[in-house]
Amino acid sequence: MRVGIVGAGSMGKVHTPAWKNLAYKGAELVGIHAARANSAQSFAEQYGVKTFPSYEALLAEVDIVDLCVPTDLHRSMTLQAAAAGKHVICEKPIALTVDDGRAMIAACDKANVRLFIAQVLRFVPQYSSAQAVVASGQIGKPAVIRLTRAAYQPRKAVDNWFTDEKRSGGMILDLMIHDYDYARWLAGDVKRVFAKSVRTIRPDAPGDYALVTLRFMGGAIAHIEGGWAYPPGFFRTSIDIAGTGGLLEWSSDTSEPMHTHLAAPPKEEAAEVGLPPSLETETPFDFEIRHFYDAVVNNKPFLVTPRDALAGLQIGLAARESLATGRAVTINQEAL
Amino acid sequence: MRIGIMSFAHLHAEAYINNLRNTRDVEMIGFSDTDAERGKHFAAQFNARWFPTPEALLAEKPDGVIICSENANHRELVEMAAKAGVHILCEKPIEVTLEEAESMRDVCSVHNVNFMTAFPARFMPTAVEVKTMLDRGDLGRIYGVNGINHSEIPREHRAWFAQKALAGGGAVMDHTVHLVDLLRWFFGCEIAEVYAEVDNLFYPGEVDVDTAGIVLLTLENGVIASIDCSWSRPTYYPRWGHMKFDVIGENGFTVVDALSQHHTVYSKSAPRLPMWVGWGSDSNQAMINEFVASIREKRQPSATWKDGYEALRVALACYESAASGQPVQLTHKS
Repeated sequence: MRVGIVGAGSMGKVHTPAWKNLAYKGAELVGIHAARANSAQSFAEQYGVKTFPSYEALLAEVDIVDLCVPTDLHRSMTLQAAAAGKHVICEKPIALTVDDGRAMIAACDKANVRLFIAQVLRFVPQYSSAQAVVASGQIGKPAVIRLTRAAYQPRKAVDNWFTDEKRSGGMILDLMIHDYDYARWLAGDVKRVFAKSVRTIRPDAPGDYALVTLRFMGGAIAHIEGGWAYPPGFFRTSIDIAGTGGLLEWSSDTSEPMHTHLAAPPKEEAAEVGLPPSLETETPFDFEIRHFYDAVVNNKPFLVTPRDALAGLQIGLAARESLATGRAVTINQEAL
Repeated sequence: MRIGIMSFAHLHAEAYINNLRNTRDVEMIGFSDTDAERGKHFAAQFNARWFPTPEALLAEKPDGVIICSENANHRELVEMAAKAGVHILCEKPIEVTLEEAESMRDVCSVHNVNFMTAFPARFMPTAVEVKTMLDRGDLGRIYGVNGINHSEIPREHRAWFAQKALAGGGAVMDHTVHLVDLLRWFFGCEIAEVYAEVDNLFYPGEVDVDTAGIVLLTLENGVIASIDCSWSRPTYYPRWGHMKFDVIGENGFTVVDALSQHHTVYSKSAPRLPMWVGWGSDSNQAMINEFVASIREKRQPSATWKDGYEALRVALACYESAASGQPVQLTHKS
């Protein structure tokens, strides 16, 4: 199948090699479209693909679109793809509102095309393997889940849409949705959300930091730490799942397989958008894109359904509501 | 200076008795315990004098006592010690209700004795370093603190920790107060809002107290903080649990794992496989040194009744929040 990528930002850049690695399965990365022609051009040269002057031109030549664009564009571009009869893989979060997400799902259902929301955390080895341990029953039923995702604020030189809450939903949505979805994968649907963020206490603060608690329908409790507060270059993540019959712990602090110390370390510029280090032969994006492609080609279910993505969004929106009201927010189970 | 221990109900007494013996210019005179079996057992184990009643211990006219009874029995022993004119170092939480805690303050005030709350975390070298960094402003304005004081259920050591009548609660009572005290000390202000998710997720049907708790706090200065006080480490974990906290500020962050200085030991006969055996500084010793110094120098100790009281208030507010499902606002007289 022919694939086109939209967006030349950090996600477009990591999805591209993953698609190229799937050539053996018949995936053909045709090209890219990006809003800014010069970034599309340098991207196309780097990866040896062609550029499309418009989204419409790209849609005309592919079977699959990979939307690596700011969240506020997800709805309109997905609807356009569905109308053109193209399958869609779209970056997380699915959308900025539940209504937008539902419209995307409905449009793809109606057009009989597949919609996959790239909740990549489910494909990150330490996360997928921890979920497998939980699913196997080895540590009993998850009771208290602790997740950390603490990084630095994205600092794209041009059009830093991440920091515009109207376009990204802010850190509490854009970054923390990874862990909302993951916690839900472990412990099921969420009943209640309470959140505290520096954003609401000090809107002018240069960074953001938030602490969110989730209470699940099944009784479990989760604590999720999220931050765009660290100095550039730092990215820490951790998992702690205390179950009724055991415990699983993992921390990026102690799992780096390699520490290099040079007499004269080169001064490295941190990436514009932080990504956790990955020192594996296949990246989480390889696993994710391969899963998507296999499921589309063979008409198999996705590991993350659009409804899962919507439920994760709903948690993030509840966290935002909690920040705005100062109250704990009960999730409307009927809304999805 | 002569110091005794009132009750061996709290497992920390086992550490304090050796700390007292290692404190300069202190004579450890022994301990009282109304549980004769426990008294004889620990008298033999520590080669220490056992007094069958608190009155018998106080008749020895100690300068100070460390109260290591069950939480709900603190007030009774505090009153006896205060009336005997003996300075007090009291285990945390200082009582199980605010009324009893307030009556302890009053009796100590009337009899002019010091009341120190046993908050050894203030004496951890890492906490002292963080306090210095914060006072210097190294991290800039602080966003938040992610705190962890989760542990195993302590009932294997002493059953009363998991009994509501004697402990006043479970994990929240046991493990919220240390980090609350650190936060109040670090930032020099009170806790303004408390939200908590609390439940008995780990030992339902076995104990009548909470065993899981996630607490979200807002301080008066706008700093947000969380505390995981859960009894969520299994009893076969390499150690009882953790004292960790990350402090995140505008200019950087610091990650504290206060008990990271340990060996990992594999021993066939050990109850834990492997076992983390600590080799770091003993914050209990530093705390007892401060208690003794405050008596010698006739001054207030560094962690007072007020510190114990405010921490207890937050723990009790956790239960209130859990019952209502909403945050609880705490008001403070300026």
